[in-house]
Amino acid sequence: MLLLAWRNLWRNSRRSLLTLASIACGVAAIMFGQSLIKTIQYQLIEKATGVITGHIQIQDRRVKELKYPEKSMAGLAAIERVLASDPAIDAFEPRIAVTGLVSSTKDCSGVLIVGVDPRRDPRVTTMSTYLRQGSYLTGGPRELFMGDQLAGALGVRLGDKLVVMGQSLDGSMGADNYRIVGLYHTGSVTFDKSILYVTLASLQETLAMQGRANQFVIRLREPERLQEERERLERALQALPVKIATWREIDPELVGVQSYQNAILKIVLAIVFVIVALGILNTVFMSLFERVREFGVLKAIGARPGVLLRLVLTESCMLGVLGGAAGVAVGSALIRYYGEEGLPLPLGDTLAYFLPFETVLHLRFDWPTHREALVAVVVTSLLAALPPALRAARMKPAECLRHR
Amino acid sequence: MTEPLIQLKHVSKVYGAAGRGRGEAPGVTALEKLTIDFHAGEFTAIAGPSGSGKSTLLNLIGTIDAPTHGEIRFQDRRVSGLGEDELADFRLRQFGFVFQAYNLIPVLTAVENVEYPLVLQGVPRAERRARSLEALKWVGLEREGDRRPDLLSGGQQQRVAVARAIVHRPAVVLADEPTANLDSKTAAALLDMMLDLNKKHGITFLFSSHDPVVLSRARRVLHLRDGKLQDEAV
Ligand SMILES: Nc1ncnc2c1ncn2[C@@H]1O[C@H](COP(=O)(O)OP(=O)(O)OP(=O)(O)O)[C@@H](O)[C@H]1O
Ligand SMILES: [Mg+2]
Repeated sequence: MLLLAWRNLWRNSRRSLLTLASIACGVAAIMFGQSLIKTIQYQLIEKATGVITGHIQIQDRRVKELKYPEKSMAGLAAIERVLASDPAIDAFEPRIAVTGLVSSTKDCSGVLIVGVDPRRDPRVTTMSTYLRQGSYLTGGPRELFMGDQLAGALGVRLGDKLVVMGQSLDGSMGADNYRIVGLYHTGSVTFDKSILYVTLASLQETLAMQGRANQFVIRLREPERLQEERERLERALQALPVKIATWREIDPELVGVQSYQNAILKIVLAIVFVIVALGILNTVFMSLFERVREFGVLKAIGARPGVLLRLVLTESCMLGVLGGAAGVAVGSALIRYYGEEGLPLPLGDTLAYFLPFETVLHLRFDWPTHREALVAVVVTSLLAALPPALRAARMKPAECLRHR
Repeated sequence: MTEPLIQLKHVSKVYGAAGRGRGEAPGVTALEKLTIDFHAGEFTAIAGPSGSGKSTLLNLIGTIDAPTHGEIRFQDRRVSGLGEDELADFRLRQFGFVFQAYNLIPVLTAVENVEYPLVLQGVPRAERRARSLEALKWVGLEREGDRRPDLLSGGQQQRVAVARAIVHRPAVVLADEPTANLDSKTAAALLDMMLDLNKKHGITFLFSSHDPVVLSRARRVLHLRDGKLQDEAV
């Protein structure tokens, strides 16, 4: 039975090979597309969370605007204790992020002022890696780490002093002189022009917010375990007037982009599947048409309709599995190649406008979705063969024998 | 005389009549009220010109097709009324088939073709192979077992078909013009071989032909004309 199906497959080897090739191309294309989009998502999320948001934040319970928390927390030590003892947390730090104004003698500009712990921040975010000139925050009083574009716009240089003015979360204003110790360049206009970093201690002083912060930023060891960790923290911090927010809640735009891409992926997959299915349908129908008489002989000899049904389905299943396997081989090779060499992304520059984003993609495997695609192809090949197979099974033996 | 193996009672076959009520012609009557008995061990030819209903008759006997009227009994059991699967199983046990041409599965070797009925019967591999080689020996092709049909001559192909038709020891071998595509010498040789199998192993043969040379070897000849039985020559 299997032997017969296998030999039948190679009876018209050119047609079978063409079908195999089209299935393989389809699978490889699907895998590549999946990998491309998943890699973009991965890099985008890694960047977004790595550069500023973190995987999880802890904020005051009353906060409504998760992205720019408008309330601050006291009693930081209690939260620190919980976070420090959590093995799933890679690094964390308390921060103050407020909107404010920075002015030189010549000009001024609206900015987001972020007060960080200079010792811990390099482990929580990637900001320190974008250093261009000078040094990262060292922990000295009133240090300023800012984007090169903002410095250019304000006409200031390393070592210059600027007035940083921020609105404390209770509404009062605070201002101080800060000295530029370092300039960074991320390539993203949003960052390079409008975010500046100071030490948390100095900012607390400037805003009269000693002992307070409006966010704890947490980096997880395993970002995939986001939901799990969120629930754990929720339990651990139950008694405190705080709330836990994941990057998905803080940055819903990012989630939106993600589901948009997933939707595109699904549509592309559907189209490829239809093409693959039509190819299989065509092959199976043609190979059946040539063999009607032969089926008549088999039926006469005593093959039950089910035997012929299984024969035809087995043939097309073999096509699907073989084509799928070849497709996985080709797709894997492509993904591995571009995983090592990197794939320059033409759209990268556009994305980089909003976020520091590498314009070279290092493709990654996403086996769960690849597996789905492979299973879908095999199932498709079975479904596509079902109508012709049923027809072959149902035909009367005498009719088959009279054929041709 | 013993009980007949196969009995036809007033069997008629009308093509294209039933179910196609489009006010068309009443259909072609291929067989008209045939009543015949066949016994085990026969070597019987069905003769008649083209279109006389030979294929139709063999198809009805072999349950490949169903009669429009009348009844066919096999070992005194009614055959009509069985389902598709039951009919297939019935054919698998009781009949062997040889057709005019394109009998063999082209992608299988001679011995694999012969094996096929045994595969369908679920006979274990080793036994299957042994019995198939035995059947090939009976038809004088023990050395051609590994060849594909396209490497065999027309006569050899028909012998393989006969081997396949007898390998599972059916009650009857039905052969519809088995010699029509063969030259007269090869045809005579095939017939002699079939007759030999009939004599030595008691295999029942029903075959059709319009070739006088072939018909001369039959022990019983039924003459068909326009779907009706002419006088029987014994
Ligand atoms: N499927 C069919 N539909 C309509 N008419 C048919 C069909 N099959 C056979 N016939 C008709 O039935 C009659 C008997 O056909 P059958 O094939 O049994 O004859 P035959 O003796 O085998 O002829 P041949 O020697 O050409 O094989 C013929 O008139 C033929 O045209
Ligand atoms: Mg005929």
